[in-house]
Amino acid sequence: MSQLVRTRITSREEPAPGFCLIEFYAPSLARAAQPGQFVHIRCGEGSDPLLRRPISIHAVNRRDGLVRILFQVVGRGTALLARSGEGMIDVMGPLGRGFSRGQACRNCNNSSGNAPAGTGNTGDIIVVGGGIGVAPLHFLLQEIAGSGESGRTTVLLGARSAGQLLIREAVEKMGFVVHVATDDGTAGHHGPVTGLLANALRRHPGFVYACGPAPMLKTVCALLAEAGVPGEVSVEERMACGVGACLSCACRVRDAGGRETYRRACVDGPVFPAGEVVW
Amino acid sequence: MNLAVNLGGIKMKNPVATASGTFGFGLEYQPYIDLQRLGAIIVKGTTPSPRAGNPPPRIAETPSGMLNAIGLQNPGVDRVVEEILPRLAGLGTPVIVNIAGDTVEDYALVARKLDGAPGVVGLEVNISCPNVKKGGIQFGSDPRSAAEVTRAVKAATGLPVIVKLSPNVTDIVAMAEAVAEAGADALSMINTLLGMAIDVDRRRPVLGNVTGGLSGPAVRPVAVRAVWQVYRAVSLPILGMGGIMTARDALEFILAGATAVAVGTANFVNPRATVEVVEGIEQYMRENGFTDINELTGLAQRNVAGC
Repeated sequence: MSQLVRTRITSREEPAPGFCLIEFYAPSLARAAQPGQFVHIRCGEGSDPLLRRPISIHAVNRRDGLVRILFQVVGRGTALLARSGEGMIDVMGPLGRGFSRGQACRNCNNSSGNAPAGTGNTGDIIVVGGGIGVAPLHFLLQEIAGSGESGRTTVLLGARSAGQLLIREAVEKMGFVVHVATDDGTAGHHGPVTGLLANALRRHPGFVYACGPAPMLKTVCALLAEAGVPGEVSVEERMACGVGACLSCACRVRDAGGRETYRRACVDGPVFPAGEVVW
Repeated sequence: MNLAVNLGGIKMKNPVATASGTFGFGLEYQPYIDLQRLGAIIVKGTTPSPRAGNPPPRIAETPSGMLNAIGLQNPGVDRVVEEILPRLAGLGTPVIVNIAGDTVEDYALVARKLDGAPGVVGLEVNISCPNVKKGGIQFGSDPRSAAEVTRAVKAATGLPVIVKLSPNVTDIVAMAEAVAEAGADALSMINTLLGMAIDVDRRRPVLGNVTGGLSGPAVRPVAVRAVWQVYRAVSLPILGMGGIMTARDALEFILAGATAVAVGTANFVNPRATVEVVEGIEQYMRENGFTDINELTGLAQRNVAGC
């Protein structure tokens, strides 16, 4: 269950200019957290900026009770968090519905690893992230590696330039095959990471996990629909309460009956089935 | 020490309620607080039919405040009565339902369906939502329309009726007098202030709805002033709200004339805000030698010469 804790920051780093990695001590939060979930953090003591900032969980160390968040400094709130001096942090979490696991195997539904009749898809997994959207995927990849599935998982990472491929090294160390794309061509494919995804989908993966800026996710969803591959995307919306009460973080989705409706990114998401989100 | 108050026939064990729209249907905050500690829970605005709400973005942060334009998203009164209220009824905390509609008949219909619903001790009539095209604020800015809605709701229910006033009027006292005359049992004030924000980089309004309602500490002085003015003119009990973050903020409203208070936006910042306000009021009373919260209502009025 989610909880409210005021706790100690154990480390703060700047993995690249304009990005911040904070680690804090919260054992029960670390135990409960699932990949794709987020924590809701106060930026300071005063009333300006007023609202908490939802930040996805980047990594947990359950043995030592540590949680890591990785975020981009984009405004006053995140700037305050990045330099909050007193060494304490006010955190609510874990919140939201994260990535579902085991989907690829279910879609494959064939223990021999051969393509199931009808779908033609394998049990392979693709994890695709762009920009700061890679933050929660790192946690997901930790879990995938922990369950011994790194061998059948391909990781695609996109960033503006080589210096901002934030999780590349860490993910390679976990044993994943990583392909990268940069907007400026300083590393890997010159262009959006969705270009790599289009190629990878030709190998009929069983499931795709994605997180990144909205235009990227829109393309991801279109590519998945075209290829007939199931997947999940983690969306970002402006959020106030974080617990499902205020209905601020409305995400437009198509329900089972095909009707468009709003769901709350904070409790119904932030991870949604790729086929449900209306862009 | 007595913290209990009577808000127009609604008995509350302490003067602290949750403001409509900020507390969902109550259960969302259960992981963080004991809901039984609350004086009352005021649940989300409820309309005759389900409403999808406004397109996102629905909120924008502003200096010491926020704009919202949710657009009265709710599952409709039938589902509220059948599915949501029964879950709240077991809590032992009085539930007040905020009601809204496009027409006078809408308000009466919702009121009728809520009459006798389990756990419901009163209705808060939302004639002040700035975020829907019809209804809402249009009833809240004209004294005659406000009185008409009040009369219709009173005729449709045996429950105490609180009318929620908008600050987006020239003369809030005239509005209060009109709904008092029409039979309101209490007044709730204030709803949000109409505002807007523009994204300078994208050169367009931030909110999908263009305009929204401003809440948070930024609006508190406006709200305290409104309570002060209305308390002097109208004898109905007042539920004061607008940017209450702490017990001291709540006490400003009570000293200005509020019988009870509601905590809204603060829930987003501190999910324990309501309970901390209750505890802080108790501490203030102990430290200052008060034994009954009702002694504090309007006390600041009596300390002003010539008032």
